[in-house]
Amino acid sequence: MKMEDMSLSGLDNTKLEALAHDVYSDLVEDACLGLCFEVHRAVKQGYFFLDDTDQESMKDFEIVDQPGVDIFGQVYNQWKNKECVCPNCSRSIAASRFAPHLEKCLGMGRNSSRIANRRIASSNNTSKSESDQEDNDDINDNDWSYGSEKKAKKRKSEKNPNSPRRTKSLKHKNGELSSSVNPDLYKYNYSSGISYETLGPEELRSILTTQCGVVSEHTKKMCTRSTLPNSDTMLENDSYDAPDGQLIMSRLQWDGSSDISPSDSASSKASTNNSESKRPKKKKKPSTLSLTSAGGGGERDKGQERERGDRERVAGGGSGSGSSSSQNALGLSSRKKRPKLPVPPAPSIYDDLN
Amino acid sequence: MVCGTAGNKQQQREINMSKESQMRAAINQKLIEMGERERLKELLRAKLIECGWRDQLKALCKEVIKEKGIENVTVEDLVAGVTPKGRALVPDSVKKELLQRIRAFLAQHST
Repeated sequence: MKMEDMSLSGLDNTKLEALAHDVYSDLVEDACLGLCFEVHRAVKQGYFFLDDTDQESMKDFEIVDQPGVDIFGQVYNQWKNKECVCPNCSRSIAASRFAPHLEKCLGMGRNSSRIANRRIASSNNTSKSESDQEDNDDINDNDWSYGSEKKAKKRKSEKNPNSPRRTKSLKHKNGELSSSVNPDLYKYNYSSGISYETLGPEELRSILTTQCGVVSEHTKKMCTRSTLPNSDTMLENDSYDAPDGQLIMSRLQWDGSSDISPSDSASSKASTNNSESKRPKKKKKPSTLSLTSAGGGGERDKGQERERGDRERVAGGGSGSGSSSSQNALGLSSRKKRPKLPVPPAPSIYDDLN
Repeated sequence: MVCGTAGNKQQQREINMSKESQMRAAINQKLIEMGERERLKELLRAKLIECGWRDQLKALCKEVIKEKGIENVTVEDLVAGVTPKGRALVPDSVKKELLQRIRAFLAQHST
């Protein structure tokens, strides 16, 4: 019969509904029973009534709904107008300004050392020469307080005694000392605080022909990026392209009375700054330098195609390739040494002219 | 013959009912086996707590307890006093949602 193969689909909708309702009420009853068991256990264990408080203490914590007062009944800006006495300087300070004042007063805050140093710097500037500006700038650059200040001071004392910074003050007296624009390019650049008004025209020329010279607003430092056009071609020592030679010649005509101090052997100087008398010295030095640093004039593959290309152009440029490899090894400092390299050929050109 | 037909009808009804109860049993079994019953239970519990039904019932329990006295109250007292009201207090939205889910399950697994 049909009834035997009855399946759910055979049940009509009402029956299905009834079934669903039954399932539902079973579930609700389960929930109720669960609750009753929980409550009964709590009652028997004695923790059922624990969350009730007596009426009196309930009144203490009632929600407050008055104007000018928060829900706990506290006044909002109660402490705004109060004043506190600083234990350090015994002044009366407003409460909201008390913490920052204490920071500055005790000298322990994040910015307090910076501000103090700046004040010292500004007072120094009005009295001392510009060479002190450097120190303060260096100190200002450090975010920390005492430790780094010491470092900065040490650095300053280790500075090259022949750096232009020192010689500049002498210059003012004599008027014609070596203005070697060499701001210790391969050391830290301390050429900060340059004011163009104090430099003479020749010094300015020598500086600006070799370096960028833009004074940064933030650090008051002069940009020392080399202005020499083809720093790549600095690697070539012996063979020279004609335009390069002409460029150098034109620059050489700029040459003023600037001298290079002989002890600045390791520092890189612009070729334009070399006076003729100094040239032979310079000629030897770079080559010796390059040879010693390279450890031999042989070509070394450093993996830089640009310089390899340059090397190829150099005919028999043993020292040139050696110096180029030394350049690679020295990295950043090498770039600053490049201005030196064209020096050896320069004398030859001059000789031709002469 | 009349008796026979009457008897047959009676029998049929019984058969229907037994079939029905068989169906019911089968469905319940399926609900449990597939874990759907547990899920429905959890869903219902969460919804009831959310809508505050549980707290209402607890307050009712407190009254029963205060009536009967803490020491003497039994589970049956509580159940008897609270369950009928509990069933009535379930909000309609919760009821509808649950019924919907049950119907969906039935529709899916009726064959």
